[in-house]
Amino acid sequence: MVKFLSEEWIEIGKNYMLEKLDPEKDLRSITTSLLGVVEHIPPDDITMNFYLELEDGKLKDFIVNTGNTFEEKEAIYEVRGNYGTYKSVLKGEMSLGIAVLKNRLKVKGSKLQALKLIKPLDGVIVALTEITDEFED
Amino acid sequence: MTSDNVLTFEKTSFEEAVVIAKKGTHCGMCRFDFLGSGVCSAGRKHGFLAYWPQGRMEIAKQLDSGRIKPTEALKDIVNSCNFCGFCDKQCNFTTQLRPEKVARALKEYVDGLDESEFQKIPEDDILQGLREIVGEKWATNDPVIISSYTMTIVPRDAELNYYIVMPENTEQVSKIVKFAIKNNIPYQPRSGGTAFSAAAPTVLVKGISLEKGIIIDMYRLKKLEIHPESQTATVGAGITMFELQKEALGHKLRALAAEAGAHVCSNILTTGIISTWGNKYGAMADNFIDLTTVDEEGNIQKHSDWERKNPYSTEPGFTNLTLCPNFILTEAFVKLHPVWDDEKAVLVPFDNIRDAYRLLIKLGKRDVGLSLAVLSRKYLAEFLSPTLQISKDFNYVCKNYLKLNYVVAVVCNKDDKKIVEDMVDYTIDESLMKSLILGAPRFTSLRDSEFMKILSEEDDPLKAIFAGPMRKHLEKALDPSPENVAKVFDEDLQEFFTKVYSKPEMTDIVWLHAFRILPTRMMRQQMFMGPGAAMWTGDEDHYINWIKMFDEMGEKYNLEHTLGFISPLDHGKFAYMEYDYYYDHNNPDECERVSKSLIESMKETLVMGKGLTILNYLFKGIYRKEHVMYPIPEGISEEEEELFDELIDTVLGD
Ligand SMILES: Cc1cc2nc3c(=O)[nH]c(=O)nc-3n(C[C@H](O)[C@H](O)[C@H](O)COP(=O)(O)OP(=O)(O)OC[C@H]3O[C@@H](n4cnc5c(N)ncnc54)[C@H](O)[C@@H]3O)c2cc1C
Repeated sequence: MVKFLSEEWIEIGKNYMLEKLDPEKDLRSITTSLLGVVEHIPPDDITMNFYLELEDGKLKDFIVNTGNTFEEKEAIYEVRGNYGTYKSVLKGEMSLGIAVLKNRLKVKGSKLQALKLIKPLDGVIVALTEITDEFED
Repeated sequence: MTSDNVLTFEKTSFEEAVVIAKKGTHCGMCRFDFLGSGVCSAGRKHGFLAYWPQGRMEIAKQLDSGRIKPTEALKDIVNSCNFCGFCDKQCNFTTQLRPEKVARALKEYVDGLDESEFQKIPEDDILQGLREIVGEKWATNDPVIISSYTMTIVPRDAELNYYIVMPENTEQVSKIVKFAIKNNIPYQPRSGGTAFSAAAPTVLVKGISLEKGIIIDMYRLKKLEIHPESQTATVGAGITMFELQKEALGHKLRALAAEAGAHVCSNILTTGIISTWGNKYGAMADNFIDLTTVDEEGNIQKHSDWERKNPYSTEPGFTNLTLCPNFILTEAFVKLHPVWDDEKAVLVPFDNIRDAYRLLIKLGKRDVGLSLAVLSRKYLAEFLSPTLQISKDFNYVCKNYLKLNYVVAVVCNKDDKKIVEDMVDYTIDESLMKSLILGAPRFTSLRDSEFMKILSEEDDPLKAIFAGPMRKHLEKALDPSPENVAKVFDEDLQEFFTKVYSKPEMTDIVWLHAFRILPTRMMRQQMFMGPGAAMWTGDEDHYINWIKMFDEMGEKYNLEHTLGFISPLDHGKFAYMEYDYYYDHNNPDECERVSKSLIESMKETLVMGKGLTILNYLFKGIYRKEHVMYPIPEGISEEEEELFDELIDTVLGD
C-alpha cells in the first residue's frame, strides 16, 4: 500500500519512473519542473506540495513538502488543486487535461508551454497511478 | 380535471411514452410561462427537475433502460402531476411533443408496481450536511431525481453518484461550496440546462458535465428587481432570459436578448450573451454593472469590491480554453435599454450570402439599428413554421422557387428604417412577415403549385414577390389567419393555439426578436450543434471562406448543415457567426460525426485566424470583450496545430 504524498510514495514513484519510463519515448526528453500544490487534504484540511524535476526526460528530483510553496527550488509550472481532484487524477478517473479544462487544476506559467507537457506528463501520471493506492478519506 | 377530459384521453402505453421521451431535447421551455398558458405547478412547487415535464420524460427513459429502479420519491413525483396539460401546449408549440402523455403513462406504470419494488434511499452524512444548509426539502440523493438531470449536467452513461441541492440565496451557495471543499467532493451549478443539453450528445460532454458530486440547481435564486430610473435590473441566478425580458418590458425597457430558457446569470458567464442586439447593446462585461459571485473557496465577492484583484483580466490566445465556470454567479446587476415607440422590423431578402453579409457589416459599422443579423433560410423556416414538416416545405419553397436564402433582419427606429430602405431595392415589411407566420401551413400546398413555378421563372423572383405584383397573390395564397395556423396542431389544442396566434406579439417581429421563444424549434425532436466564432470583418473574402469551410465540413461528415446567423459586434469590427449541424441525438454514429465536425472546424478556424472559436468564447462572458477579442488573433502555427491535436486527443479522446 502506498499512500499519496507519503515518503514511500516518493521513493517508489522515483524508482518506478526511472525504471519504467523511457526518457526519450515516454518523456520526450523534456526538461522542466513542476510544483503540484495539493489543497484541502483531509482530515485536517492541510496543504502539501510535491516538486518534480525532469532533465532531458530523466527524473532529477521528486520531493514532497508541507505548505503552499517549496522554498528551495522555483518550479517552471505550478499546478494547484484540491486533494479530491488529485485523487481522481491518480485513480485514473479523470485525465490531467480534463482536470485543467474543468478548472479543477490551475496552471501557473505559460499555457502554450504547458500544453507541450501534456503528453509527457501523461506518462508520469500513469506511473503515479500505478503506484498510488491509498488516499485520505 | 373533468370527467370529460378523462373520457377523451387516449391511453399511451409505457413503451409509447418512452418513444416520445427519447425525442425530447431538454430545451427547458416547460419551466417558464412563455405562452401565457400557465406553467407546471408541480415543478414550481418541488423545484427538482424530476417534477418538471422535462424530468418526467427523462425518468421514463431511465426506468425503461434499467439505469434506475423505482424509489419512494418516484411515487411522489408521479402523484405531483395534476395533468393540467400546460406542458403539452408549451412543448407542442416548440417541438410537437406531448409530455403529458408520458406523465400519464409513467403514473400508470408506477401505480402498477408492487409496494415492495420501491427502494428507500437512506440519508448519508453528505446529504445531512447539505440539508442543514438548505432545509430538508431542498437536497436529495435519490437516484430517480438525479437521473432526471441526465443530458443536462449528468452524462448519459455516468453512475448516479450525485447529490442535488437547491439553494435559495448567495449565502447558502457559499456554504455549499465550503462544505463540498471540506468533503473533497466536486460540485457544479446547473441553470436552464440549454448549454448542457447542446453539449451532452457530443464529445464535449466529458469536459462540460459533472462526473460525480454535488449538482447545485440554481432555480430557487429568483430575485428580480427592475430599477427604471437607472435602467438596470438586479437578477438572481434562477431567472430566465424570458422572465427578465417580460419584467423589463413592463417598464418599457429591454435586456440584451438571447435564448429564452437560458438563465440570465449563466448566460452572462457562459457566452457573455451572444445576441443579434450585441452591436448596439454590447457583449460580455458591457452587459453588467456588478456581479455577485462565490469563488472556489466559497468566498462571496462582488466585482465592485474595493481592492479586489482585477476581475476583468483574462489571458489572450487560443490556449485560453475552459469548459467549466471558475466561480458561481449568484446575482447580476445588469444594464437595460429603452424600448422606443417607433421601433420597427425590416427584413431585406437575399439570394446570396456575400451581398447579405456586405449589407449587414455596412449597417453594423454605421451603427444603424438595434438588432442586426443575417438569418439563414433554415432559421426562418424553423422559427416561423409551427411543425417540422411545414419547416421543410417552407425551406423547399424558399430555396427552389423564391430564391430566398438569407435575410438581413433589422430592428430599428423609424429613422434607421429609412436608412435601410434607402440602401436597398426592396424589403419584406412587417405585414408580409405576419402573413408568412399566419400562413406558414400553406407552404405545403404551395410546394408544387403553378403559382410557384411561374414565380421561379421571373428574373428576380425575390423582387417579384416582395416588391412586385406577385406579392398580393402570395398573401392571398397564404390565407393567413390564427385559425389556419392552429389547424396544424393536435385537435384538442387548436382552440388554444388560435388564441395564442391571435395575440399581437406572436406576429410582432420586434417582440419575437427580443423574447426569443422560437429558436428552440431548431431542437424539434433532433439536436443541433452550432460551432462558430467571432471573426474580424476587415477581410470579406476571409469571412466568406470561413463560412465555406463549415459548409465543407458538413459535407465531409454527411450532416444536415447550414449557416445559422451572423451578427455584428463592436461597431461591426467583428461579427459572430453560428453554423449549425443538425443530427439525431439518439444515433451514436451521427453524434460522433457531429463531434468530429465540431473539433475539426474549430481547428480550421484557429488555423485560418482572425477569429475566436466558440470554445475560446466559453466562460469568457465576465470579462471585457476587448480583452477577449483583441489583439485580433493570428492563425496558429503548425507547431501549435500539433499541440492542439494533442490537447484534443488527451482531453477528449478515449
Ligand atoms: C436553442 C438554443 C439557442 C441558443 N441561443 C443562444 C444565444 O442566442 N446566445 C447565447 O449566448 N447562447 C445561446 N445558446 C447557448 C446557451 O443558451 C447559453 O450558453 C446559456 O448561457 C446557457 O444558459 P443555461 O442557463 O441554460 O445554462 P446551463 O446549460 O445550465 O449551464 C451552462 C454552463 O454554465 C454553468 N453555470 C450555470 N449556472 C451558473 C451560475 N449561476 N454560475 C456559474 N456557472 C453557471 C454550468 O455549470 C455550465 O457549465 C443557445 C442554446 C440553445 C439550445
